[in-house]
Amino acid sequence: MEILKLAAILFVINGLTIGGGYAMVPLLQKELVENHHWLTNKEFIDAIAISQVTPGPLTVMNAFMGFKVGGLTGAIVAMVASYLPSIIIVTLVTRHYLQYKESWIVKGSFDGIKPAVVGLLAAVLIFLGRSSLTSVPLGAFAAVSFGLISFTRIDPTFIIIGSGILGAFLF
Amino acid sequence: MAEANESNKERLVTSLRNIFLAFFKIGTFSFGGVYSMIAFFERELVERRKWITHDEFIESFAIGQMTPGPPIVNTGICIGYKLHRLPGVMVATLGQAFTGTVLAIILAAFYLQAKDNPLLQSVMKGVAAAVVGLLGSIIYKMAKKLITGYKSAALAVGAFGALAVFKLNPIGIILAAGVLGLILNWRR
Repeated sequence: MEILKLAAILFVINGLTIGGGYAMVPLLQKELVENHHWLTNKEFIDAIAISQVTPGPLTVMNAFMGFKVGGLTGAIVAMVASYLPSIIIVTLVTRHYLQYKESWIVKGSFDGIKPAVVGLLAAVLIFLGRSSLTSVPLGAFAAVSFGLISFTRIDPTFIIIGSGILGAFLF
Repeated sequence: MAEANESNKERLVTSLRNIFLAFFKIGTFSFGGVYSMIAFFERELVERRKWITHDEFIESFAIGQMTPGPPIVNTGICIGYKLHRLPGVMVATLGQAFTGTVLAIILAAFYLQAKDNPLLQSVMKGVAAAVVGLLGSIIYKMAKKLITGYKSAALAVGAFGALAVFKLNPIGIILAAGVLGLILNWRR
């Protein structure tokens, strides 16, 4: 039952990662690409791109991955499994906000997890860069995209769409 | 706390159908980064519909940030709970995710069909390079905010090495970082 395995993995990852939608990227890459070979690195990057150009939260990339693993059912199961931890945790936290906010367990563990996520993302960037920046012009593309997103207010969605259009002519 | 819960319970400002429609709109017309989505939330729910106050919105956003999972999704879930308890959570989540999920499934189906098309391959080469740049920029912004001293720097470098060099499982690394964070905070 590949779909159930995927659901379990997405449930754990979504319930564990602090620090934004992208914090999940290293864990997803390890489990879906390296451990279970459900996607290639290239498909994984394309899933990120698709979720960036579609409206709504980044989590919709899980629908893409679910679709690859198990078709329409896979996509729906993947979304439910991704949202379930949030629904449970946020509902509980909203009811007990003050206790949660002051809790030393929450504060302490988050202080550890958040910087670790930065390191994990940097490691995954190397894996993904190796599989997608295969020529000098592609490296230049990545550098320009980095610069524009870091230092201007241009929406990343436009940069990704623009790169696709340029890519059609250049590569 | 008990009082706050009571007043929330009394105050069902709108129907489930309207909550679904509002979040459907948010999920359909908000593109890009966290901040554009957050601005959209505020405009729709606080200013236009006046379902929650600005302070409630700020609190919901804070809860979204400090709970595991995607912060935007979590902010929406929190607001759904404030508006209509658990049924509110369900319709808010469904509304917010609907358009993106449907589009992602359609694009996935198209992408997997046309994967070997040379034009699509050229397009996706450019796109993939841009995504690498985007990820780099996200790391840069996160690092600027989160790496504030030698402890956080050591945790980041340690996690990087554990994954890049020793190929340890990131789930284990996250758990270990959480425990380390607890120990470091305890000593303080």
